[in-house]
Amino acid sequence: MADGFLSVAGAAKTFGAATVLDGVDLSMSRGEFISLLGPSGCGKTTLLRIVAGLMRPDQGKVALDGEDITRRPPHKRDVSVVFQSYALFPHLTVAENVAFGLKARGAPAAEIAPAVGRFLALVQMSAYADRSIKALSGGQQQRVAVARALVVGPKLLLLDEPFSALDRKLRETMQIDLKRLLREVGTTAIFVTHDQDEALTMSDRIAVMYKGRIEQLDTPAEIYRQPATPFALEFVGLSTRLPGKVTEAADGFVTVATESGPMRAKGNFLPGSPVLIGVRPERIVLDHSHVNRIEARLVDAAFQGARVQLHFQSPQGGQILVEAPALPAAAGPGTPLEMSWSVEDTLLYPASEAA
Amino acid sequence: MNSARRIDPVILLALPAVLYLAVVYGVPLIVLLGRSVMVGGMPSLSPFISFLSDPFSWTVIWNTVRIAVLVTLVCLFIGYPTALALARAGGVAQALILVAIILPLSVGVVVKAFAWQIVLRRDGVVSQFMTGLGLWSEPQRLLFTEAGLVIGAANVFVPFMILPIYSVLKLVDPRLGEAAATLGASPLYRFFKVALPLSLPGIVTGIAFVFSMAASMYVIPNLLIGDRFQTLATLTGRSFLFMRNEQLGSTTAVVLLVLTVAVVVGSAALSKRLGGAS
Repeated sequence: MADGFLSVAGAAKTFGAATVLDGVDLSMSRGEFISLLGPSGCGKTTLLRIVAGLMRPDQGKVALDGEDITRRPPHKRDVSVVFQSYALFPHLTVAENVAFGLKARGAPAAEIAPAVGRFLALVQMSAYADRSIKALSGGQQQRVAVARALVVGPKLLLLDEPFSALDRKLRETMQIDLKRLLREVGTTAIFVTHDQDEALTMSDRIAVMYKGRIEQLDTPAEIYRQPATPFALEFVGLSTRLPGKVTEAADGFVTVATESGPMRAKGNFLPGSPVLIGVRPERIVLDHSHVNRIEARLVDAAFQGARVQLHFQSPQGGQILVEAPALPAAAGPGTPLEMSWSVEDTLLYPASEAA
Repeated sequence: MNSARRIDPVILLALPAVLYLAVVYGVPLIVLLGRSVMVGGMPSLSPFISFLSDPFSWTVIWNTVRIAVLVTLVCLFIGYPTALALARAGGVAQALILVAIILPLSVGVVVKAFAWQIVLRRDGVVSQFMTGLGLWSEPQRLLFTEAGLVIGAANVFVPFMILPIYSVLKLVDPRLGEAAATLGASPLYRFFKVALPLSLPGIVTGIAFVFSMAASMYVIPNLLIGDRFQTLATLTGRSFLFMRNEQLGSTTAVVLLVLTVAVVVGSAALSKRLGGAS
């Protein structure tokens, strides 16, 4: 997908001494839903604003549907935005808000009313057409904002943390509704969020952003299975992380000395290199059937319905996180338990960029 | 009926201001109003009838309204962009603009009017500038003309247009303009459909301020246009100070009062309606 529907190439932006965006490349295909996931200050909103045309990049190019739009003003881009604060026009009614974009583009009046009606129905807000914006709840405002952005038939829809002001229950409903709606309308969308669950639930692909760079751009499953960097490992999902030093390296495998003992992992490092070993909690089994073995004491167990989250502490002080279907029979606080995981499930990173 | 209505004790905090205004403003106003409708100790509307049946009076009223409207328009066209710039500017730039607007308020209006006398003279800066550019074939005097009066008065009153508009604009979410832009609205469309409607309450307040001050200004017309040109305010002053005709002075004062109160109350009602819609 070198020449995607949307392609951002080498986008960079600095504010004074702070580099907010450090040469970002992003390419997406038509109809795709990509999340920009990262902590606050990682540059995800800046990237969104550059794509929308609300901010000029210092360097780099933005192309949409085969046209270079780097210098095109926002109102000529066909890129709609749903803002975090929704930014609905307080002096207009719900229907007038939705009609705004069509009127601004000079659509004939005969087309505007049916289109507004159709999109208000899509977001289940038909009953509120003549209400004032102030009379709506947060979730309702969010729906109006989505309808207003979609009714103009944008090439690209950008969503800037649109659910962050909603409570958890409502947020989960809205996530499902929004994803279904976007599939129906067939819109290409970029979704900015700092909530990994939201990103994992909704996206075709996730771009994990950190310090103005995209650390990894891949499907949710692949990002979870094979995080490309220590940051991606830490930010997306839970993990156990053990620092160590390579002692042996041969045939694409290394042996790493950690505080909790020697570990085997796939990778090419020179002996002596500082590295970080990572493993996902559900990949650890509570016996010694695999190669990488540890013995640790149970510190805490958190019941989570279908699964139990077990927090262990190794005698050397390392924290180990295990997710198991049930609490092991022999387990009590302080009980030493055996655990192990396979070489395939052992993630290996250079330690210099350990997060 | 037991005491169904209780007075909110907080309202009592307004008491000092109410007492002060009652003594220094309310009482003289009542005396003035009373005098305007009393002839020889008997209540009568004849002063108003004779005032309004005199064509000269209508010239004076028209002068007052015309100059006030012109000054208000000039202030609006200069003030609105300034208020917009002030609301958009950040940090040092905003502070500098704000100082530039507020600091001149500390200069007395007499001083300003005298300064404009010098600027607007036949050999003043304006005349030299225009003839120098070749726009005027010979030096002209703007002093003692209506144009000169409007320019000078607008200079004095423009902060009272800028500040209310600015205070409304700065509360408008900048995301609204961005949202409009991403929906395909050109800058002009955004201004007329988003920024302007949302700032209307500020505009109405600014108009009320400037119109009422421009309609009742006394010192500025005296210094910039002179006696040949009478407004309700200058005529009121003349009646009391030079003609010793307290009857006429009371009448013109009341006409002026009714005129400005109508504009202020009308615009306040308009502002409330617009504010309610936003």
